[in-house]
Amino acid sequence: MLEGFNFRIIWEYMPLYMQCFAATLWLSGLSLFGAVVVGIIACAMRLSQSRILRSIAGVYIETIRSTPLLAQLYFFYFGLPSMGIMLPEWLTGVIALTLNSGAYYAEIIRAGIQAIDFGQIEAGIASGLSYIQRMRFIILPQALGNTIRPMLGQAIILVKDSSLLSLISIMELTRAGQVLTSERFTPAEGFLTTAAFYLIIYYMLKAFSGWSEKRLIFREAH
Amino acid sequence: MISYKNVNKWYGELHVLNSINLEVEKGEVIVVCGPSGSGKSTLIRCINRLEPIQEGELVVDGMAVHDKKTNMTKIRAEIGFVFQSFNLYPHMTALENTTIAPLKVRGFNKAEAEKLGREMLTRVGLADRIDHYPAQLSGGQQQRVAIARGLTMKPKIMLFDEPTSALDPEMIHEVLDVMRDLAKEGMTMMAVTHEMGFAREVASRVVFMDEGKIIEIAPPNDFFTNPQTDRGKYFLQSILTH
Repeated sequence: MLEGFNFRIIWEYMPLYMQCFAATLWLSGLSLFGAVVVGIIACAMRLSQSRILRSIAGVYIETIRSTPLLAQLYFFYFGLPSMGIMLPEWLTGVIALTLNSGAYYAEIIRAGIQAIDFGQIEAGIASGLSYIQRMRFIILPQALGNTIRPMLGQAIILVKDSSLLSLISIMELTRAGQVLTSERFTPAEGFLTTAAFYLIIYYMLKAFSGWSEKRLIFREAH
Repeated sequence: MISYKNVNKWYGELHVLNSINLEVEKGEVIVVCGPSGSGKSTLIRCINRLEPIQEGELVVDGMAVHDKKTNMTKIRAEIGFVFQSFNLYPHMTALENTTIAPLKVRGFNKAEAEKLGREMLTRVGLADRIDHYPAQLSGGQQQRVAIARGLTMKPKIMLFDEPTSALDPEMIHEVLDVMRDLAKEGMTMMAVTHEMGFAREVASRVVFMDEGKIIEIAPPNDFFTNPQTDRGKYFLQSILTH
């Protein structure tokens, strides 16, 4: 089956792939960081006392989760400039991915927080810890530990979703496959190589999650 | 030290605290008892505003807990609270459980807080369990860590909400021993408990509640031997003959 497979051409395009691999890594990495931050904030808003903050977070989370990422991406890419907001392509892509995954992270973190026994929160209140301190020292360390696996799942989805950025002409892994395909008419080589690089990122994420799980989850505690 | 003046609280229709008047002096040990649903937990949970009161005045160590503007952090730092279900932080060792509030609320440095934490864990008989996680400890040990956690704040008042109700019978005494020592050292305490032996031995007064009201307040010997109300007699019969 691989007789007709042109390894030489893959090698020839390797510099492009490496460059695009790096681009996917930093675009996804930046979006992932942003998404976790947005997720924590949206989740804190959703669980807050204020009805206004709760509704804002609710609308954001539901809108994002009920509409396709591609539509959101096109809105930022085509819609924002028509409203007079001009952003570089990469930033448009990162914002779209951040806001999209942020909504999912908000729900993942909320599940992790709500799994914590309310008695611990009361104990924190009783000893005079402030809301921020209770979040920082009691709730989030446990919630993040409990949610490493779903967080990893969402990170993998984010990396795969970053392939949509090829549609707004950002040079990343999927775009590299398209370039190879269109320049040399070799779609099998082009997209298999792209897929192989995504697989590498997947294993990197998996290794990271295994390592952080060992540090964050307190086996003694369960 | 703790002063309730005509305190009222409702959960919807339920009048859970009904015109409560009670003065607790420094160094007193108050045992609160009564049937379940009588409002005894709520009575002590109001003191550090784990539950807000809706009417009346509640003054703790000179600070007005009923006043919404009062900074509760200051009051809470002076009050240790021990829960029925321990409520330790499972991701922290016994020592970390005891030092988190002194570090973050009192602003002690790490060395001070740890010294104090060790001291209090030793005092409750857990010197050899300092680096254990809650899940590695028995119920009685966990509850003693919870008491040590309260004590590291150097509180003026200790509150206990059914501290032995979730424990196996043979672990109850180890928790009561610690509470007894505290009482004898002059700590101001309020404890919701049905441990009548404990009440007889160390309580200054017993508060008997039913349906949100304080029915009787009396020194333990008077209450146990000669309750003044039928409700009190009936309650004592039912817990002494169970």
